[in-house]
Amino acid sequence: MLISTNQNRREFLRSSVGGTAAIGIGAALPKCFAEAAAGGNSKGERILVVVQMSGGNDGLNTIVPYTDDDYRSARPKLAIPASEVLKCDDDSGLHPSLVGMHDLFQDGQFAAVRSVGYEQPNRSHFESMDIWHTCRRKNEPRPDGWLGRFLDQQPLTAGGDVPALHLGSEQQPAAIASTSTRVPTVKELAEFQLRGNNKQSLRELLGSRPPTSTPSDNELLNFLQSSTTSAIAASQRVSEAASSYKSEVKYPETELGNKLRVVAQLIDAGLTTRIYYVQHDGFDTHAQQAQSHSILLRQWSDAVSALIRDLNNHDHGERVCVMTFSEFGRRVAENASEGTDHGAAGPMFLCGGGVKAGIIGKHPNLTDLQDGDLKHEYDFRQVYASVLKDWLGTDPAPILGRRYNSLPLFA
Amino acid sequence: MQSIDPAWAWQPFIPTPQLPWDRSSVAHLYRRAGFGADLMSTDAAVEQEPAEVVSELISGSPDPTDFRSTADALAQATLAGGDPANLSAAWVYRLLYTPNQLLEKTTLLWHGHFATGAEKVNDARMMWNQNQLLRDHALGDFGAMTMKISQDPAMLIYLDSAINRKAHPNENFARELMELFCLGEGNYNEMDVQELARCFTGWEIKNKKFRKNRYQHDSGEKTVLGQNGNFDGEDGVRIVLEQPAAPQFIARKLVRFFVSDELNPSDAMLQPLADLLREHDWQVAPVVKRILASNLFYSSVSVGHKIKSPVELVMGMLRSFKGTTNAQLVAKGLRNIGQGLFYPPNVKGWDGGRAWINSSTLLGRANLIADILESDATRFEGKSLSNYLRGQDVRTTDQAIDHFEQCLLAVRLDDAAKAQLRKTAASHQGDEERRMRSLLHAVTSLPICQLA
Repeated sequence: MLISTNQNRREFLRSSVGGTAAIGIGAALPKCFAEAAAGGNSKGERILVVVQMSGGNDGLNTIVPYTDDDYRSARPKLAIPASEVLKCDDDSGLHPSLVGMHDLFQDGQFAAVRSVGYEQPNRSHFESMDIWHTCRRKNEPRPDGWLGRFLDQQPLTAGGDVPALHLGSEQQPAAIASTSTRVPTVKELAEFQLRGNNKQSLRELLGSRPPTSTPSDNELLNFLQSSTTSAIAASQRVSEAASSYKSEVKYPETELGNKLRVVAQLIDAGLTTRIYYVQHDGFDTHAQQAQSHSILLRQWSDAVSALIRDLNNHDHGERVCVMTFSEFGRRVAENASEGTDHGAAGPMFLCGGGVKAGIIGKHPNLTDLQDGDLKHEYDFRQVYASVLKDWLGTDPAPILGRRYNSLPLFA
Repeated sequence: MQSIDPAWAWQPFIPTPQLPWDRSSVAHLYRRAGFGADLMSTDAAVEQEPAEVVSELISGSPDPTDFRSTADALAQATLAGGDPANLSAAWVYRLLYTPNQLLEKTTLLWHGHFATGAEKVNDARMMWNQNQLLRDHALGDFGAMTMKISQDPAMLIYLDSAINRKAHPNENFARELMELFCLGEGNYNEMDVQELARCFTGWEIKNKKFRKNRYQHDSGEKTVLGQNGNFDGEDGVRIVLEQPAAPQFIARKLVRFFVSDELNPSDAMLQPLADLLREHDWQVAPVVKRILASNLFYSSVSVGHKIKSPVELVMGMLRSFKGTTNAQLVAKGLRNIGQGLFYPPNVKGWDGGRAWINSSTLLGRANLIADILESDATRFEGKSLSNYLRGQDVRTTDQAIDHFEQCLLAVRLDDAAKAQLRKTAASHQGDEERRMRSLLHAVTSLPICQLA
């Protein structure tokens, strides 16, 4: 397995260096692409894959308190029957769709942190998501996101690749917004290349700024220019990196499955990228929640567990962690449309060979609520702090704005 | 931004030698108030006064009846198929051919504001009816538009409010009405959301039509935004619109849409426009007119300080050279690069500005333009591109670069960029049509052409 990986890496380095020469972008290449590091991403460099459940995941129906009578009475229609729950311990279990996650749990590769949130929860999707992305409230400046600030701290010499990649057709999340780095968004690998009769000359035209030109005093134009050079460079590298990948693992034929397969391809090709970000949308289940939530959870569980198995098969399992979050949980009581409205605290999930498996946090108290919602036990920044310190190996305080107690999430 | 004087900002623009009324300022107006115009129309407008041109743009609404009936007939034909995806193409047709660009542009603004996605609604006719609702009110009464939207089947299905019972009011529509449609986050609290939701109980969609189910209406006393009473949904909308934050919120939306994404206007700056909205009982046209004829609009704060949306980029390229093409191809392409018509990303609509731009969409923009230029359906005033340009006395590479620059670019090209474009064109020396298309593709793909 290791041998074929190295062959892939060599082949891709050769072709991308050749490609760079052929398209003549050489010196004009942005610093972050300067030259592929000969060794690629070494064994020691850990990778974080973030999965964002957009819309507000119903945490109570994800990690189910199946013995709690208050849970059943608050949700006459939506409570998951105890007999169907995939049990983790005497009072908590997973939603029946989460078979893949339950397997990971039993293999010691799945951890959940219960009741994660923040003070004065905001129930707007957009505002709450911004709080999770930037770690800042609305009245504070928000030029960048928490992962963007992490990227800003990374030395540019570490490798030749983009430090982070967003896969998907949605708008780029603010979490990876950085003041110094343009993070590419890749919709589909096949689409991530120039088309047309004159693509060669167009690549030359767009891939570099003419040597005589100076940065404009129009900041928006500078933004467009640097985004375009990044796009041209990233397009070459990423398309070539994934070209010769083979896997025994069958990913589900879903959008999330496709995205995570690309993540595995790029990791295996030796890209030095350390952050991958994907979104899984549809969790705003105000009506007829049962069916759609079940489908969404199955898609998540099947895709993430396929990725973990695939990475394990390719010997990357110990250095990749998949972290899943949502902007809030949902109200404890169901509404009249057999759905749930916007809530507050909810669970976060970590998967991979490096995590310390288990369920962290107290059984949620369904009788001591704030405005009908669960109170948070952990601040989400505690989880971020643990990921930054114990996984990515950096000091979390400057990134998060202050010191947060980390949690024992990694083995 | 604090240094901009609100009084100066909204005063009528009077051309000066430094800031003349010329091709470049007219092209700016046509790009922002619509999707662009060919050079002949631009030159005609240069002969008029700025205020006169703006008045004509505003009074162009409503649609001329003959255009509207053709466009409607086409839309009806696509509705017969029932697939909402075809609706996008029907709208592209309108964008390509409408004689009233400002109306279409403003309809697009409200589609992003009262965002509703066909994927979830999954009913082409409902989506089309909502689109007509937005068009009918686009430059008219914002209050009436909001009231109608709150009873619009597509909207209520999109926000899970097709059934709203008093025992468990659905908060989704009430929340978005305040957060996204009228007031903005921070101008209401959680109690207001819950109380406003009670006002809307009993409102439902039955057989694809709005109706009030009085047995499910909560007729108790409510407290919404400081007012008490036995309110229903109409009262709820009225109370929301009475908030001082409401005209400010809409004025901000209009300024960012027409003037600059990069601008974060102060309350003082917005106040004159907010006042105008109040004075005219929520009529949108007077505010748009004030903006498009203002000092600020023609100033360096605005010109070249907006990122073209995908629709603006593609329609701009076509409309500037009287282009027509396969509407299906464009509709699908727009969705690929982030602006699927009838398919906004979520209820917040498109954020616009820098959010339009990332590696994928930049490559996608260049690729979509390539696809359009290579399509057999693409014609310019019914001709090939080179024939069209010859009719405009454009024959050489340099003349073509100048022509494209004047129509498409808000900011001039520097010499180095021009030299590179000449090099791009040089590889097609023998074939004039190839050379012109390749040049147009290159200009349209440049970072500078993403600016409006």
